[in-house]
Amino acid sequence: MKEQDAPLPIRIFNDPQPIPRRVPDYMRTRGGILYWTGALIMFTFIYEILTGLVILIYYEPSNAYKSTEAFLNTAPFGSLILTTHLYAAYAMIFLIYVHLLRNLLVGAYKKPREIQWLTGIALLAMTIGVSFFGYSMSGDILSADAVGIGQTIAGGFPYLGDYLRTIFFGTGTSVTLFQSMLAWHIILAAGIGFIFALHFFLAEYNTIMPSRKEAGYEAPALDRDDGSYKPWYPYNLFYMVQYMMLTFGFIFIIPSVLAIAPNVPVLFSPFPQVAAGTPVPPSFPAYPPWFLLFVYKELDFIMVDGLTPFWSTMIFVGAPLAYLILLPYLDSRKTLKLSDRPVTVAFSILGVFYLIGLSVWAVVSPGAQEPDIYVMPFFLIPAAVILPLSFYLSRRIGDVGLGLMNKLHVETSMAAWAVAALLLGLSSFLTGHMISVLGSSFTAEGLAIAVILTAMTLAEAVVIVEILTRNLHGRESPLEFLRVPKPAVLGLGTIGVLVAISAVNPSNVYDEAIYGIGLGMIFFLAGMLIREYRKSELGE
Amino acid sequence: MASNIEQGKPSPEVSPNFSRRKFLKTMMILAVGAAAIGTMRGGIQSVARLPSATLSSFPSLSLVDSTGKPITTDSIPVNSPLGIQFPYPLSNEPNFLIRLGDKAGNDVSIPAVTVSIPENGSSFQSPGGVGKYKSVVAASSICQHAGCTFPQLRFYPPTSSTYPGKIRCGCHGSQYDPYKGFSVVSEPTRSPLPNVVLSYDASTDTYKAVSMVGPVIFNHLSDLSGGNAIGSPNTKVTEESA
Repeated sequence: MKEQDAPLPIRIFNDPQPIPRRVPDYMRTRGGILYWTGALIMFTFIYEILTGLVILIYYEPSNAYKSTEAFLNTAPFGSLILTTHLYAAYAMIFLIYVHLLRNLLVGAYKKPREIQWLTGIALLAMTIGVSFFGYSMSGDILSADAVGIGQTIAGGFPYLGDYLRTIFFGTGTSVTLFQSMLAWHIILAAGIGFIFALHFFLAEYNTIMPSRKEAGYEAPALDRDDGSYKPWYPYNLFYMVQYMMLTFGFIFIIPSVLAIAPNVPVLFSPFPQVAAGTPVPPSFPAYPPWFLLFVYKELDFIMVDGLTPFWSTMIFVGAPLAYLILLPYLDSRKTLKLSDRPVTVAFSILGVFYLIGLSVWAVVSPGAQEPDIYVMPFFLIPAAVILPLSFYLSRRIGDVGLGLMNKLHVETSMAAWAVAALLLGLSSFLTGHMISVLGSSFTAEGLAIAVILTAMTLAEAVVIVEILTRNLHGRESPLEFLRVPKPAVLGLGTIGVLVAISAVNPSNVYDEAIYGIGLGMIFFLAGMLIREYRKSELGE
Repeated sequence: MASNIEQGKPSPEVSPNFSRRKFLKTMMILAVGAAAIGTMRGGIQSVARLPSATLSSFPSLSLVDSTGKPITTDSIPVNSPLGIQFPYPLSNEPNFLIRLGDKAGNDVSIPAVTVSIPENGSSFQSPGGVGKYKSVVAASSICQHAGCTFPQLRFYPPTSSTYPGKIRCGCHGSQYDPYKGFSVVSEPTRSPLPNVVLSYDASTDTYKAVSMVGPVIFNHLSDLSGGNAIGSPNTKVTEESA
């Protein structure tokens, strides 16, 4: 047997590759972030582990709702830790979908990355699972419904249902329910850690998938270091730290803003709802978390009424999963061209459409039975349009369409900055609003808010001017004359914000939200500063 | 590390005395440091916690036996080496209940004495014996040296060939004198056993635990924190043999 035909583990043991690998420059320049969506997921996962361990110290399965509320309201930084734990999980799931879609479109499932792809699908399923258990552990009114549905689905498994229900949800008492869910939350998180380690190692072993152009639009797409690649330190390290800072910044700011914003919809509330069993008005929606809305809606279809919830879930969740698992073997051709893969492209678009469509549908009409006359068109019309269109466009546009992904890179990069600016604007608006609420009395919180507000507005202005002028002046921003003052503002700004939030006493939800916004600001400023360093000193 | 000059770009440095790179690095360290400090404060302050007080004041609890019947003087054997104990003021704070006697087994009246605490040089007033013969005393049965409990920490009656009339801990050899307010007899302990203040009702021949005096019960932040309340007007006296 020839060496390169040996099974993967043998090849790895006989020829271990250097880790971490060097990567080409284009993976770190504008739009290069699409090569690092996996790294962003890793940052959110690390954040989940760290905050999860703190919450674990406080959580009492025998007292689930009360201990969660006590952690939220009385433990120092409890509110900040719990809300960011939830939102980092949201970010992780969202980024996994982005990562999946991106790798689906570029054909990253093809040789030699089949195992890497399969471990990725396993990670997707496990992340949804760990999120389900984590979300249900608060014991609030929504989690009680979610647990009921989960028990029904697990209990419907042929022959083994009763065992599975007991394994995952305990013997029927409240204590064993929350004890089991805590156990599975941790077991799945640990499992994600192990499989992620394998996934990450394979990503390094198989090399980061180069741009398809570099690979000649053919599998195997391998990135070959011709000796010109820059060293991992400082180029990649600084790049990674920059994006870690930005990721953490988002994780801190979004839930903190939502924590003090008025009238946040239930679906995006960073807090648990009222305790299970509390009477609520009929208008109170029985939502699962947003990432499970599509499963929730599917059970409303009259067309699956004859089936148990287990089998309808098998159809609507199992079928797409099975497709993703089989994909490397269904489409094993060498080509990476989108125009040669109209079915994959059409299914990707349809998948996104169905996922978002079902979720929105669930929000708009929760728990409403849907007759076939609505369900059939929802599934069939987009399929009837997109599949032929995809075939047509692949013939018609051909190679012209290939540049689309590259253009997409730039647009995404712009979008990221635009979102940052939007968030900063929203934050400063809300903090400004809060100052007016606080009134004229001089307090530590008031001082913290004022300093944070100033820093935010400043950073916001810098970001927006940067975005607006980049296209006019190309790479050279008119802010170039600020080359020394700008890093000074950013660096000293972080110290200023730190001093401001140091005055905050983490004793209630409001103060902790202010702290979270300030902390997010520091992470953003630090990320921008690293960007400045990379631009001016590393020439990137 | 490739510099700008190596990449064929003009150096942005304006003077040899001013290193832009050093400045940027300093700023980056400040920023990353600020982020680390801000995050670590949250993590540390959230994990570092102390138990809050379970009770706001000492409860007054009647001593009863396992069937709920009040303990009378005659139901406590004189000089018993058995672990006659009751929890007070919290359920994880056991105390010895001892009816002290002489070698012949006659009750000994225990006077109130001032007991010194070698650990910090302070002292406290031990309540002395209560009951029909002023011979009943009680104190924490958690050794103040390292936290050992009965049967390691136990009372040796005056007739014992070893350590007569003393409470000794088998873990490290600490000795206390129950006749003198559970004061320190020999090291390694540097603190007497916390005394339970008992009250005696002569008309009914019953006992109550009303408070604690002396050092704080071992491994507790205060006598009233770090455990569950007993949650009853009675505390049960149990007897363990060893």
